[in-house]
Amino acid sequence: MIRARFFGLAAVLALLAVGLGVGPASAASTATVSVLHAVPGVTVDVYANGQKLLSNFAPGTLTDPMSVPSGSYDIAIFPAGANPSTTKPAAEAKGVSVPAGVNATLVANLDAQGKPTLNAFVNDVSSVPAGKARVTVRHVAAAPAVDVRANGTPVITGLTNPNEKTLVVAAGTVKADVVLAGTSTVAIGPADLDLAEGTSTVVYAWGSQSAGYKLAVQKLSGMSSAPSGVPAGSGGLVSDRTPPLVAGISLAGLLVAGAAGLRLTARRR
Amino acid sequence: MRLRPAVVVLAGGLALAVGTPAVWAGTRPPAAAGPPLASVVTTDPVPPSTGPRSGSGTSDVLIRPADPTPATPSAAPVRLVVPDVGIDAPIEPVGVTPDGLLQLPDDVHRVGWYRFGPVPGQPQGSAVLAGHVDSWNQGLGALGRLRAVEPGQRITVDDAAGRITRWQVVTRQLVVKQHLPLPELFARSGPSRLVLLTCGGPFDERLRSYRDNLVVVAVRAS
Repeated sequence: MIRARFFGLAAVLALLAVGLGVGPASAASTATVSVLHAVPGVTVDVYANGQKLLSNFAPGTLTDPMSVPSGSYDIAIFPAGANPSTTKPAAEAKGVSVPAGVNATLVANLDAQGKPTLNAFVNDVSSVPAGKARVTVRHVAAAPAVDVRANGTPVITGLTNPNEKTLVVAAGTVKADVVLAGTSTVAIGPADLDLAEGTSTVVYAWGSQSAGYKLAVQKLSGMSSAPSGVPAGSGGLVSDRTPPLVAGISLAGLLVAGAAGLRLTARRR
Repeated sequence: MRLRPAVVVLAGGLALAVGTPAVWAGTRPPAAAGPPLASVVTTDPVPPSTGPRSGSGTSDVLIRPADPTPATPSAAPVRLVVPDVGIDAPIEPVGVTPDGLLQLPDDVHRVGWYRFGPVPGQPQGSAVLAGHVDSWNQGLGALGRLRAVEPGQRITVDDAAGRITRWQVVTRQLVVKQHLPLPELFARSGPSRLVLLTCGGPFDERLRSYRDNLVVVAVRAS
């Protein structure tokens, strides 16, 4: 079995913090965070810095984006209803740095070996060109490397847990499936993905062999760009430029007037 | 006293020199009617929907299933009518060209609807309809008479489901292409508007292109 590279949450977030040092300068001291539950079979409560953030959070569900103060967070997930002071967390991550201005998704998922873990991913919310859509695929399943195919053609190859790959593609609906890397053994799908223009679609491959593999989809919008111009005429039939005939008549009038004027001044002498 | 023939000729010549262009110009609709574009299509102050939805760290956060969902098709516009200037044209969905320009129907008698933007009548954003003013080989286009539209006049758009939206013209402006406020004209959010686009202004024979875009902005009629 291919050994999945495992990035600790701290490592991911350190990268994240470095990457975001160059983030929007105008960003206030808040960040935008969504939370996805991708650990099969267990409903959980999510705690941030000892305070309950989410209750009865079911596998396969996602929060809307939340505005949170930037800073350092201790995140822990517990089986739903458990007392956090007496129960061991199902997964935890201490000192998660959430830089100001970032748009991130915190994911509770299984690592490649099937152990619950937490991962934070930065969402690219920069604009895309007119007619295009951004799609990001994140491997958060207890599974080896995979390829992602769009309409039967591999577009992402050798993706391992907990990594991601982002593409900017023509907007539209694609039939996507996930296969074991280098094979045509379908692990998930196919599923129709609506890659709407001017949006980012984040697709998570999650689950486990025993619980089954699934896709989770997060949609982020507001990244559209306008077309760069409107070329809407090539005939010149309604031009505002003075037509040659009009200019010609005008010029002829001027010449006639000039000649008459010369004659008048000549006679006076 | 009798006027000398030379004086008559002089006056006639001058009248011709000044009058011909003046009369020609008089037959052209003015370049603009209504308030300037900048005051009609303002920069959108609404934050994008990637923005935060609710306060921090409370249990009133909205949670939803993350299963893949199919696209939600909406009925596309199919017919544009501007009765006062005699425009009645079929509409087809259009996108962008490989180099990022708005794509227009090959047939100049058809109008394109920018399918990535709002449908006319959607509660938010600018629905954009664009058509050729003319073409070198097909003659006058569907929006060839858009220049004659006046503020206050009515526009109707029929969609594929048979619904009709009614609009009232706010302004008509000629804008040099390089100065067109494209992000505002194609806004996805903000007030609901209908934007009609074609070409106008002086024509450059060498480039076979007009200098300006003609922009008509309309709002929903009550």
